[in-house]
Amino acid sequence: MFIIIAGAGKLGILLAKKLKEDKHRVSIVDKSEIVCNKLAEELKGVLIIQGDATNPEVLKSAKVEKADVLVSTTSSDADNIIICNIAKEAFSIKRTVSRVNDPKHLLLYKHMGVDVPIDSTTILARIVEEEASFSDVMNLLSVKKGRLSIVRVDIPPNAPVVNKMLKDISLPANSVLISILRGPEIIVPSGITKILSGDEIIAATIIDNEKQLIRSLIGKL
Amino acid sequence: MKYIVIIGCGKTGRELAREFSHQHNVVVIDKSKYALDSLGEDFNGKKVLGDALDLKVLEDAGIKEVDILVLATGNDNVNIVISKVAKKLYKNIKKIALQVYDTSKKKIFSEEGLIIVNKTYILVEVFKKCLL
Repeated sequence: MFIIIAGAGKLGILLAKKLKEDKHRVSIVDKSEIVCNKLAEELKGVLIIQGDATNPEVLKSAKVEKADVLVSTTSSDADNIIICNIAKEAFSIKRTVSRVNDPKHLLLYKHMGVDVPIDSTTILARIVEEEASFSDVMNLLSVKKGRLSIVRVDIPPNAPVVNKMLKDISLPANSVLISILRGPEIIVPSGITKILSGDEIIAATIIDNEKQLIRSLIGKL
Repeated sequence: MKYIVIIGCGKTGRELAREFSHQHNVVVIDKSKYALDSLGEDFNGKKVLGDALDLKVLEDAGIKEVDILVLATGNDNVNIVISKVAKKLYKNIKKIALQVYDTSKKKIFSEEGLIIVNKTYILVEVFKKCLL
């Protein structure tokens, strides 16, 4: 694949290196001459363009019209949105991915048609919350605009499902247990898998049935 | 009397706000308190300190009742993003005008219902009128 990266901050550079290692074609655009000169020594085989990526001419010199994906990683949300929009409108790039700097600006990305806005602050907050919390239930991931959610449920000793086989447990519709983490073991469950106290269950469920699923696993919310 | 929101209180935003506030209901949004203060004590509109890229700030400022929206932040990208999203979300707005410095962006982002004001184009017109 050919990927254009706008913004050579920490994220942009790391991404360029990884993509290069995976044998992708990469070009990277940054405003700063100092940054670009330094990059030229560090990153061999990457097309480096110095300029403002919100300027269509600059994107053009980065060969944007040949790119499969554009990734915008600048520290300005307005710039990221405009870069993705120019790539789409003027150069028909199919997939645009962007870092979201301020979670409060996420809605703008969605309304402006950025394909994949990545709100790193919220993602990080969720990980930190998970690592720091003692709660039985943790929402790991939401997909399809939040309609499907993947949750982790820790099974306490008094849960109604303890020592029961999966086939004897009734789960709500559109819910499935993906795997059971038991100490170092990862179990892909079948009907005769028994749930034990202390198991961590990873489950996928339609968002409307999430509470019901949790109730049927641990007996409360 | 019209309800007008002006985003960006630099030179242009400030002058427009003062001018419009004589006859209309004006709200000015800027993220700098210093900029808002520059409107002066006698300014007879509302001042909102906040980040206009945050839709909640716009809605708290009453964007859902606005007749006219003016983008004068001095940053083309900010002006374009807010005007496009406002046009899409708030059908109550009758006119949206934005300042765009970069002529190449004016071409890409022109669409019906957005009044793009470009200094270079205006200057060229004025020069032509004066000279020819």
